[in-house]
Amino acid sequence: MDKKNPEGQTGLVEHVFKKGLCVTCGACVDLCPYMHYHDGRVTVMDKCQAEDGRCFKWCPRAVPPGMNTADAEQMAAKGIGPFRKIVAARACDEKKRESSQNGGMATALLTLAMETGMIQGAILTDRGDDDAPSGKMVLSKEMISAFSGSRYSASGALSALNRAVGKGVEKIGVVGLPCQMEALERRHQYYIKKQMTDQVTLKIGLFCTWALDYRKLAAYLEQEGLTGTVIKCDIPPPPAEIFRVYTTGGTFDFPLPDIRQMIQKGCSVCTDMTSLYADISLGAYEGREGWNTLIIRTETGEKLVDLAVSKGRIEIEAFPEKNMSDLDHAAQNKKNRGADASLKMTEGEVGS
Amino acid sequence: MKKIFQKNGNINLLLQGNEAIARGALEGDVSFCSGYPGNPSSEIIETLADAASHLPIYTEWSINEKVAVEAAAAASFAGLRSIVCMKQCGLNVASDFLVNLTLSGTKGGMVLVTCDDPSGISSTNEEDARVFADLADTPLLEPSTPQEALEMTKWAFDLSEKINNIVLLRSVSHLSHTRSVVRIGELPENEKKARFDTRNPFHTFPVIAKHNIRHEKLKTAETIFESSSWNPYQGPEEPELLIMACGSAWCYVLEAVEIAGLTGRIGILKLGTTWPLPKKIVRETLRKCDRILFAEEVDPFIETAIKAYAADLGEEAGGKTFMGKASGHIPSTGELNPSIFLNLFEILFGLDLINKTYREKVGEHLDGVIFPREFGFCPGCPHRGSYYAIKQALAWDNRDGFISGDIGCYTMGIWPTGFNQVKSVHAMGSGLGIASGYGKLAQFGFDQPVVTVCGDSTFYHAGLPGLINAKFNKSDILLLVLDNSATAMTGFQPHPGTGSTATGEDTEPVDLEALLRSLNIGVDVADPYETEASAQKIYALLQKKGPRVLIMKRKCALVQGKQGGFPYQMSVNHDVCLGESCGCGRYCTRIFRCPGLIWDKENMKATIDQVVCVGCGMCADICPRGAIEKTGKRN
Amino acid sequence: MQLNLIITGVGGQGNVLASQVLGHAAVHKGLFVTIGETFGLSQRGGPVLSHIRLSDTALPGPIIPPNAAHMVVGLEPLEPVRILQEFGNEDTVFIVNSRPIHPLNVIAGDAKYPDDRWLKNTLECFGKKLYWLDATELAISLGGAIMLNMIMLGALSEMDGFPISKSDIKDVIRTIFPESKLEMNHKALDLGSKLVQNA
Ligand SMILES: Cc1cc2nc3c(=O)[nH]c(=O)nc-3n(C[C@H](O)[C@H](O)[C@H](O)COP(=O)(O)OP(=O)(O)OC[C@H]3O[C@@H](n4cnc5c(N)ncnc54)[C@H](O)[C@@H]3O)c2cc1C
Ligand code: SF4
Ligand code: SF4
Ligand code: SF4
Repeated sequence: MDKKNPEGQTGLVEHVFKKGLCVTCGACVDLCPYMHYHDGRVTVMDKCQAEDGRCFKWCPRAVPPGMNTADAEQMAAKGIGPFRKIVAARACDEKKRESSQNGGMATALLTLAMETGMIQGAILTDRGDDDAPSGKMVLSKEMISAFSGSRYSASGALSALNRAVGKGVEKIGVVGLPCQMEALERRHQYYIKKQMTDQVTLKIGLFCTWALDYRKLAAYLEQEGLTGTVIKCDIPPPPAEIFRVYTTGGTFDFPLPDIRQMIQKGCSVCTDMTSLYADISLGAYEGREGWNTLIIRTETGEKLVDLAVSKGRIEIEAFPEKNMSDLDHAAQNKKNRGADASLKMTEGEVGS
Repeated sequence: MKKIFQKNGNINLLLQGNEAIARGALEGDVSFCSGYPGNPSSEIIETLADAASHLPIYTEWSINEKVAVEAAAAASFAGLRSIVCMKQCGLNVASDFLVNLTLSGTKGGMVLVTCDDPSGISSTNEEDARVFADLADTPLLEPSTPQEALEMTKWAFDLSEKINNIVLLRSVSHLSHTRSVVRIGELPENEKKARFDTRNPFHTFPVIAKHNIRHEKLKTAETIFESSSWNPYQGPEEPELLIMACGSAWCYVLEAVEIAGLTGRIGILKLGTTWPLPKKIVRETLRKCDRILFAEEVDPFIETAIKAYAADLGEEAGGKTFMGKASGHIPSTGELNPSIFLNLFEILFGLDLINKTYREKVGEHLDGVIFPREFGFCPGCPHRGSYYAIKQALAWDNRDGFISGDIGCYTMGIWPTGFNQVKSVHAMGSGLGIASGYGKLAQFGFDQPVVTVCGDSTFYHAGLPGLINAKFNKSDILLLVLDNSATAMTGFQPHPGTGSTATGEDTEPVDLEALLRSLNIGVDVADPYETEASAQKIYALLQKKGPRVLIMKRKCALVQGKQGGFPYQMSVNHDVCLGESCGCGRYCTRIFRCPGLIWDKENMKATIDQVVCVGCGMCADICPRGAIEKTGKRN
Repeated sequence: MQLNLIITGVGGQGNVLASQVLGHAAVHKGLFVTIGETFGLSQRGGPVLSHIRLSDTALPGPIIPPNAAHMVVGLEPLEPVRILQEFGNEDTVFIVNSRPIHPLNVIAGDAKYPDDRWLKNTLECFGKKLYWLDATELAISLGGAIMLNMIMLGALSEMDGFPISKSDIKDVIRTIFPESKLEMNHKALDLGSKLVQNA
């Protein structure tokens, strides 16, 4: 790469920020003083001169898809990609399920992983209460359930991973969106190249169609008269076309088309719906409230799920063929859309 | 007592131009002295403030230049002699009163000193304040040396009383800040009583009549000028070139003519009284030569006037060749120096005066090696913390926000020392006025947040009206008062917030917070040293509307240093310091840029320069690694 | 006699005081003296430049004519180089303190401060004589960097043709410093003059 586009912050600014592609994963934040996450947004604080920086190397948006190992694999994978097993699952603990988004799997699996010493700490996304959600490191299993439920805006949670590593924490489990799983994969490749041991030992990826820009969402909700502190958000199955927000003040519905206006621009080029790079991928079980779709992708993931079943922490059922093909279809659709959008963007650049 | 205040005259002292002006005022029996600080003028009032503890005079730092002239005018109206001092920009502020004052006239001798700053070495502009002499029909004196500065100042009071109007005296940096041997005169000892004669009011009505009287006064001044000794001619009766010079430029001309060996061929008319033109003298001198060169600093002031006068003379003046700023013979901007004239004489007289080979050789050798020294805030300066916090808040905010700046040390926010955050700087208090305008642009789609910064001294000078304008017009303005309790830029003159006057007397300080609260504007206070907490506050304020004020309160580092110093002994732990690697990239020395932090090239780590670091501890908080350590009290 | 001296350094090095001391000494001796000072943002790391002009015939102007400096005192080694082209000449004598003061742009890595050898060579090559003195170390050993200006004045007083002697300078500082500081300043002057005698 020439000097004008070094693989450092300059490149990040050039290829990600200037194009508005940042998806607020947080992989570049808190590695150094130059990149910050504040109030729901990742921003460039000062200019870094490094021509070879982790921010650029780890960013899931820093190079057009298809340009490094992770991308090549991702482009090759069809639909939901390679996996070992796919099942329907839910946590056995009813209480945990209640506060959870779907089947409470993320919470249940992490709790177990920490109990067994598979992980020392977990990187989770907090509720933010009246502020933006953000990444936190959790060191005690009792605390994990306090983070259940989905925030539909991106949260820069990987910044908490960077802070944890800075403090010397080893064996870390991360729950995150597909872009965050991709960042972890790039990070992993970097560690291999530098012959260092990756601290991340468990990756639980969520399904994701898109995430919202926090500041836009917050301004919208305020303007539309939302009261109370947000507990969780949900998108009830079609044809509802609504975005539902549960707060301490009640339940509020907003038209989904309004909400879609606030999708992060960077999500439009995303080609991964089911967290290809996770050990375990989790999503809703369409049409069955209180259950998760669970994809086991790695040996690590398989071991953890087996243990959870044997210990009676979770229950699993077979995943119906029909759901499987719908999911695969949906995942392929997102991939096609993302690839198209990204192609258009590159063409636009070449054209201009 | 300092020698400059002694009663007896007839001794030689080394005096700075500004001190000479002060001594001239004392010899001229001044009673009332006022001014507003600003380089290169400040030392005049400083000297007179010092004098006030030995001699029966009154000296004050006024709130701004306009009030300074007004206060001094009161003394004049009551029959006392007064002097008022400022820099060129200050006269702009004072000018509204000045143009009215010259209609009403004065009684006790009154002198206004403006110290212009050619090249704008310590100013935001390069300006020729002499235009106000023309604008306000005021006699104007231009000394060239400290000795002359003393004598002219003294003389100016007499002139003022003869015509009952204020007299302007113009200095420039290279007179105000030049020291030379000066022979002082005796100080008068007159009993004085201030009294306003209610039978003779001072106002501008009827305007036309007063305007006519003003013109008459100017005519009288012209006559006096013509018979004065301030405009000597020196040189042959029929010179090949006639130079009309004033102020410091005269010194450069004189020397250049001598160096060039042209004393027998060039005539020099030194003009000491430049407005109104001493026409008789100019007319006689013009007869000597058809080639005329003007030497003066900043604008072609006498050049334009003399050319116009020559046009009036018509036939008599004949075909003259005028050279100066208009013709391009003299640069139209920047300070003058002897070199400019030597270069010109080389061309005009076909001489070889400048060592060109040496200059070329040196030039080649130095090419690309020499760079300007970057200015920066002092070690421990609270402004560094304030700008760091603003930078952080604006970056978080992410709407391409910026700072509307103002005049003071913190003007340096336009440079890396203030993280280049300041995007506009003009006149005293303008940052607020401009910000009040930005705050009304939302209806035209303006969505960038603007922070305006203003020092405490500047805020009192001219900032308050801008803020009240914002309040009145419901403008979205966020003001950060950088309250460092000092007029640090110009040398720590007291101001209304400091609790003491120019002469060191105690006075109740103005309570800035209470003042702002009385406007019912939300006020909060933050500590610039607590950069993270300050940034959070600023960020939160940026999200709000209407007028908002945050006072960034922390004493100027130089004041803190004098008052017992700073708390910490600093060091950098080289085992922890990341240096240039990813994760830091020399953040402290490259971005934070406190001169107390230096780069250890051998170890490729940051280090504290123990001589320069004052131990404020700010940098410990900005290091991403916690490598900068602060421990207890400094030894 | 006409002598043009430049004292150059950066804010805080005691340039203005040093020139004032020389000025007072000159007045005592009945010389004509003019000192032109240029200091913009001197307190904030900027250069400070004094033109000290002595004459026994007439009052000189505040700015030295082009390439007419007889002597240049550099309180810092880069500053004399900066004025070389405008005021230096083949006969200029340079008395320079070797210890650099790095400006912020150098510390930050945006500009490169020339190395010792280059600075020395430059001044040697473009003047008559260079006295390259490790005066800061000496000053610190005396009690603080603040003594630098007196050491340099001591050195200056030893120059051929310089009309102000060390004892002239001592007479002046007796009138401006408190008793308690006199000894240290006298010592600084003496050490300064020794420094050039040995050089
Ligand atoms: C932005 C977003 C979009 C999603 N889109 C879909 C979708 O289109 N289809 C689908 O089937 N599922 C989607 N999901 C996943 C789904 O909402 C549930 O998170 C998932 O089924 C796991 O449920 P659970 O009950 O096991 O989680 P819980 O046990 O409730 O745990 C939730 C976990 O998610 C983490 N988390 C919460 N918010 C975020 C966030 N903003 N970023 C990263 N991590 C977060 C928390 O740290 C917590 O560990 C989305 C999730 C998010 C955050
Ligand atoms: S996508 Fe992630 S790594 Fe890339 S710039 Fe945004 S926050 Fe940083
Ligand atoms: S001291 Fe801190 S900020 Fe400075 S270079 Fe070292 S790690 Fe970076
Ligand atoms: S403590 Fe740090 S910021 Fe403060 S003066 Fe010393 S080096 Fe500068």
